[in-house]
Amino acid sequence: MTGEFNYYKILGVDPQATTDTIRQAFAELRAGFPQEMRDAAVNPAYRRLLNAYEVLNNPERRATYDSLLVETALPALSIDSLSSRDQIGLTESVQRIYLLVDVRAPEQEVKAVLPLNLCLVIDRSTSMQGTRLSCVKSAVELIADRLTAEDIISVVTFSDRAEVVLPAAHLDSKAHLAGQVRRIEASGGTEIYQGLSAAVKEMRKLPLKEYTNHLILLTDGHTYGDVDECLQLAQQVSRQGIGFSAFGIGSEWNDEFLDRLVASSGGQSGFIESPTQIVDFLQQRITGLGAIYAQNLRLLPDFPKSIRVQYGFKIVPFAQPLDLDNSTIQLGDLEGRSPLSFLLEVDIEQQPVETRINIPLLFTADIPSQGMQERTFRHHHRIYVLADAAKVEPPPSLVKAVRMLNMYRMNEKVWEEVEAGRLDVAATRMRRLTTRLLEAGETQLAHEAQSEMGRLAQAGTMSLEGRKRLKYGTRALVNQTITLDHDD
Amino acid sequence: MIKCSDCGASQPEGTLFCSECGGFLLESTKKTTTVLPFSQFAERPPPPPLAGTELEPSSEVRRLIFVIPASRRRFTLELDKEIRVGRADPKSDVVPELDLTQDNGLEKGVSRFHATIMASSRGIVLIDLGSTNGTVLNSYRLPAKQPYPLQSGDEVRFGDVLVHLFFNNT
Repeated sequence: MTGEFNYYKILGVDPQATTDTIRQAFAELRAGFPQEMRDAAVNPAYRRLLNAYEVLNNPERRATYDSLLVETALPALSIDSLSSRDQIGLTESVQRIYLLVDVRAPEQEVKAVLPLNLCLVIDRSTSMQGTRLSCVKSAVELIADRLTAEDIISVVTFSDRAEVVLPAAHLDSKAHLAGQVRRIEASGGTEIYQGLSAAVKEMRKLPLKEYTNHLILLTDGHTYGDVDECLQLAQQVSRQGIGFSAFGIGSEWNDEFLDRLVASSGGQSGFIESPTQIVDFLQQRITGLGAIYAQNLRLLPDFPKSIRVQYGFKIVPFAQPLDLDNSTIQLGDLEGRSPLSFLLEVDIEQQPVETRINIPLLFTADIPSQGMQERTFRHHHRIYVLADAAKVEPPPSLVKAVRMLNMYRMNEKVWEEVEAGRLDVAATRMRRLTTRLLEAGETQLAHEAQSEMGRLAQAGTMSLEGRKRLKYGTRALVNQTITLDHDD
Repeated sequence: MIKCSDCGASQPEGTLFCSECGGFLLESTKKTTTVLPFSQFAERPPPPPLAGTELEPSSEVRRLIFVIPASRRRFTLELDKEIRVGRADPKSDVVPELDLTQDNGLEKGVSRFHATIMASSRGIVLIDLGSTNGTVLNSYRLPAKQPYPLQSGDEVRFGDVLVHLFFNNT
């Protein structure tokens, strides 16, 4: 839509302007027309002004106009989708399709990112003593090199209680940060909520809207008795624009808890097996955070009744299962230089007659560089139900992603069986997974699976390390698959 | 609904991979043992097999060393009753003692139940189980289901996977 015909531009007001502002703007502009020029029938300039005012001054017409404006404006997000089948036959039974969706910043729009408001929440319970804590310390010091002058950093430690080691502020002196961090000593228990709530308090000292706000939790243990409080807090602050990432060190931490903790903001959870990897994990995460184009990207599951989304998984920029239980599916942040891709497993109810099915993909996102808050973006994926549907091979990239994802899900099922006490079923599932991993050429994970299978058969349980290696190992496989090919 | 041909689990139509065993469910690319071109080559006729009547099962436990040059795998298996050779089969969950999945068994034409190695009163014998691409012992293609004596140092080809076999000739 060109400026000449954009009603907001004609009146010279912001798209978010109030009715009063619009009236005032109209009055001023109208005053610029001498009495004899105020004839809409002969003066096109005056007609345009009058049209613009009539539409924008009427809330109903304005809303309609706004929705059209969004659709016709140059999209601030480019959305693409690919399905395992675009045609399905007439059937008596449920049909399953896989949808790979790719969201990215439009070309040339990768600029003007917000500064970071970063808080590191560090577990300093007794078990962190030694290599773990010293690796965390050096990682924090190294992070300082990745921050720009506008970025804000705070550091909070916790055991049974929280302590603000570095209050939220610009990083003036790296030596000061290093000095503060070096003084952290390990002792006490693990109460994650204490750390999170102190961290959120620090982060809120700044106007959240002006920053990319992210909290990174590093822990090596289970939290006691405050799981629900932690999850509630995460959910609550994710709505205010604070994202969560959580990394578990060693093997004693609760992976299900960390997965759920980051789910409400679409953040990342990860397994740091050896303390020396802490630096890599943190630097990678921060590099991603420093280039965020759109925040708070959400998919509104506004699907027709005949469609059920069974499973969702984010593949790029990192592999993470999506939480489908909420009213919106939280996808997290979109990095400017990388697309955000996710996979949906969709079941379509039986279709006895030929038809076209629209799968609406309705997103909302904040795009700070364009002053957009909770802006809506639409995309449709169409599936045709035909009597003689063409049999087309699914795209290889999608097959690969589904294959890897299936191995991750097979591994999750093993654990479900273990928890339910069905050890023989668990062992059988693990054996099958071993075979599939071997077929995929993932010999290291296959060996891991094989030895866990032995443990299941002999000791009746899995090792904590093995369980996490398999979980995060198979999860990472999904991330290694390729995404949609773009024309560029 | 469609049925997984590997494990028999039911899945909605259009599912790509079996949720139970991970098998690929699209018919066009079913995983059956590939028929390799060399299967058609005529080779020298093998010497006669041992007669079945001469075979008494032996209770003596033997240690066999297998070396697979292509994948640089080397390992020792105990020959108690038999050592089955093949590829792990998700359908029946049977994993043969000598599992060649890792050695690209599928691409190299190893059947799931390819051959078996048994201890008998006449020494260690090798029996091809009617595999798709056959078993070749020191360049002789073995007829199916006939026992052939093995010597330490023998070269056996299951499909296109070459295995060297060593044991103490007692």
